[in-house]
Amino acid sequence: MSGILMVFRAEIHRIFTVKPAFSVLILGAAFYALFYPQPYLNEALRNVPIAVVDRDGTQSSRDFTRLVDATPDVAVTELMPDVASAEREVYARRVDGILVIPQYFERDLLHGRPSPVALYADASYFLIYQRVSGAVAAVARTLGAEIETARLIAIGVDPAIAAAAPDPMPLTAVPIFNPEAGYATYVLPAAFVLILQQMLLMGVGLLGTLPGADPADGGTRGLTPAPIIAGKLLAYLALEAVILPIYLIVLPYLYGLPRLGETLPILIFAVPFVLAVAGLGFVVAGIFRRPIRVALILAALGLPLFMVAGFSWPSEAIPPAIRMVSYLVPSTLAITGFVKLSQLGAPLAAANSELLTLCALAVFYNLIALLLMARKTRAIDPTVSETALIGTGHSTQ
Amino acid sequence: MLARGRIRPGFRLVFWREVGWLRRRPFLLALATIVPLAQMVFLAAIFSAGLATRLPIGVLDLDSSDLSRTIIRMVDATPDSAVAVRVGDLAEGRSLILSGKIHGLLMLPQYLQRDVFAGRRPEVVFFYNTQTLTTGNLTVRGVNAAVPTAAAGIRLSLRSAQGQPLDFAEADLQPIPVQTNALFNPTLNYVYFLLTALIPSVLQVIMVTTSAYSVGLDVETPHRLRILRSLGGGLWPAMAGKILPYTILFMLVLGLSDTLLFRVLELPLRGHPWLLIIAGLLFVLSCQLLGALLALLLKPTLTAVSISTLVTAPAFGFMGIGFPRLGMNAFAYGWGELLPGTWYLTARIDQTIRGTPVDLSWKPLLMLATFAIGLAGLAAWRLVSMRSSARPIDARSVPGPLAEVPS
Repeated sequence: MSGILMVFRAEIHRIFTVKPAFSVLILGAAFYALFYPQPYLNEALRNVPIAVVDRDGTQSSRDFTRLVDATPDVAVTELMPDVASAEREVYARRVDGILVIPQYFERDLLHGRPSPVALYADASYFLIYQRVSGAVAAVARTLGAEIETARLIAIGVDPAIAAAAPDPMPLTAVPIFNPEAGYATYVLPAAFVLILQQMLLMGVGLLGTLPGADPADGGTRGLTPAPIIAGKLLAYLALEAVILPIYLIVLPYLYGLPRLGETLPILIFAVPFVLAVAGLGFVVAGIFRRPIRVALILAALGLPLFMVAGFSWPSEAIPPAIRMVSYLVPSTLAITGFVKLSQLGAPLAAANSELLTLCALAVFYNLIALLLMARKTRAIDPTVSETALIGTGHSTQ
Repeated sequence: MLARGRIRPGFRLVFWREVGWLRRRPFLLALATIVPLAQMVFLAAIFSAGLATRLPIGVLDLDSSDLSRTIIRMVDATPDSAVAVRVGDLAEGRSLILSGKIHGLLMLPQYLQRDVFAGRRPEVVFFYNTQTLTTGNLTVRGVNAAVPTAAAGIRLSLRSAQGQPLDFAEADLQPIPVQTNALFNPTLNYVYFLLTALIPSVLQVIMVTTSAYSVGLDVETPHRLRILRSLGGGLWPAMAGKILPYTILFMLVLGLSDTLLFRVLELPLRGHPWLLIIAGLLFVLSCQLLGALLALLLKPTLTAVSISTLVTAPAFGFMGIGFPRLGMNAFAYGWGELLPGTWYLTARIDQTIRGTPVDLSWKPLLMLATFAIGLAGLAAWRLVSMRSSARPIDARSVPGPLAEVPS
C-alpha cells in the first residue's frame, strides 16, 4: 500500500513538474476550454443572405419578398435583375440562395391558379440549405393559407371551417433536450468528452515515455508493476476529479448549454472512463516509447476519432464493422453515456451497457499495460545491476 | 560516400540528404504518407454507407382510428423514419428516447379523427431528440413530409364535399408552391461535401506537425543547422532542399486521395483541375512553412509539435466544416481566416462541387500564396536572426558536412 502511495505522490509531482505533461494536462485543458467552443457559440444560423429576382414587380411579389426578409432565418440582401447575375453572386459567396418570383405571380394568384416561386439554395451545407428552404417554404405556406381561406369563403364555406381548412391537423414538432436546436448544445457536450480523452491520452503517453516514467529509476525499488500502475491510475483519477467536472459540468453551465443531468451519475460514470483512457495511454506509451512519437500519432488520430464517435456523423450511418472497432476507443461509448447522463438527464441505469463496456475496456487496457511493463522490467533486469539502480536512486534524491 | 572535396554545396545536396534521412526514419516516412492515406480510407469507409435512413421512432396512438393508422403508415413509409415501437404512454416513450432506442415520439391525440372532420384542428405532436442534431433533423424531416400529406387528403375531401371539382381543388391546396432546387448538390448527398472538406483538415494536422518534427531534428542541435546551411550553400537553397522532399510526398498523398475521390468514388469535379492543383501546392507549402516556423520559434521539438497540434487539431471547427463560418462569432471567423486550410477548403469546394468561374476563383489562391510567401519570409528572418545570435559564440567553427550522427 505504501508503494502505491509513493508512486501516487511521485506521479502527481511529475504532472506538475514535467513540462510537456503539465502543458498538455493543465495548460492544454485551460486553453481548449476557452478556444474550442468559439466556432459554435452562436448556436444557430441567422439571417442567411439570399438574393431575390423579382420578375413580377407587383405589390404581391414585394409583400412576399418582405415576408421572407422578415423571417429570422434568412435576409434578403440583394435584389437582382436576372438569374444569371444572381448566380454570380452565389459563386462569389455573397449570397447562399436565389428566390425567383416569376412574372404574373400576382395575376395567377388573383385568378385562383397556383402561382409557383422557384428557390435555388446552396446545398453544399445541410444547415444552410435547411434554413433557406425552410424559411421560404414557411412564408409560402402562411401566405398560401390566407389565400386558401379567402377562396373557400368565396365558394360559400363557413368562415370557421374555412379558417381550419388549410391546416386541419397542425403538426407541432417539439425539439427536446436541445430546445433551440443549437449547434453548440449538440456538439460541445460530446466534443468535451473527446477533448478530455485526447488530453489524458497525450498526458499519460508523455509521462510514460519521458525520463522518470519508471518509478524504479526514482528510488522506489522492489515495486512490482501492479502497484506502480495502481498508483499512477490513482494520480490520474485525482487529476481528472478536478478537470472532468470542470469540462462536463462547469463549462456547459458557463456557456449556457441546457442540461438536465445530476452530478453524481456523471461522476460515477467518469471513473471507468478515466481508468480506460489512462490504461490506453499506458499502452500507447508502451508501443511508441518516445514522447515525440506519442505526440505525433495522437495528433493524427484526433480527427478520425471525432468522426467515428457517432455525433457529427450519426452512428446509425456508420458501417457496423467500423462501429465495432470504434468501441475499442473509450470515447465512443463514453460520449454516448455522458450525453445521456448530463444532457438528457437519464438515470445511471439507462447508461448501463456503456458503463459495463467501459469497465471492461479499463480492465483490458490496464492488463495489457501490466503485461508490457512486466516484460520490460524482465528485459531490463539482467542488463542493469542492482547497485546501479540503487545508485541512480540515491543520486536523484 | 563521396570524399569531402568533391561535394558541391547546393540545393541538390540538401535535398538528397533529406531523402536519405527519410529512408532511415521509417516512422517519419510513414507519418507523412501511410498515416494520412489510412485516415482518408478510414473516413471514406465511415461515410461509405451514405446518410442514415429509416431512423427508429415511437408512436403513441391515443385515437386508434382510420386516420391515425393512415398517418402511422405514411410516417413509416418515408425514407427517413421508421415506426419501430408503439408505446402505451408518454413515460414509456420518454424512457425509450433516453436509452437511445428511438429518436422521436409521434403523439396522435384522442378523438383525432372526429375533431379533424369537425374542423377543430387537433394537434399532432412530434417530440424529437435534438441533442443529436443530425438524426433529430432527419427524423423530423420524415414526419414533416408525411403528416401534411395525410392532411392533404382531408383537405381535398372537404372541397369535394362543397362540390368543387377535384382537379380544381387539388390546384387550390397549394396556392404558392415552392420549387426548391438544391444548388451544387442535387441529390443532397453530404458524403461529397464531407469527404472533400475533410482532406484539408486531415492533411493540415499531418503536414504542420510532421514539418515541425523534421525541421526540429535540425534545429534542436545548433551545429546541424549550420551544417544544413553550408550544405545548401546559402539560406534559400538550404530551406528549399529541406522542404521539397516532403512537398513531393504530400503532393503525392493529396493526388492519391483525390484520385480515389474523383475516379473511384466519382465525386463531382466541376471546376478546373489545374486551379485545384495550384491551390493544393500552395496549401502544402503554407502548412510546411507554418510547421517549420513553429519549430524555429519553439524549443524543444516536442513543444513545437504540441503547439502545432494545438493549432491544427481544432481547425476542423474553425474551417467551418460542421457549422458554417457564416454563423460564427467574430473571433472564430477571424481565426478561421488565419488558417491555410480555410482557404484551401474554399478553393477546393469552388473547384470541385461548385464549379466556380475562373474570374471568381482567384481570392483563396491569392490568400494561400500570401501565406506561403509570408511564412517563408518569417522563417528566413528567424533563421538569419538565430545565426547572428549564435555567431559571437563560435564564429570560427567550420562545419564538417559529413560529421553528423544519425539519431
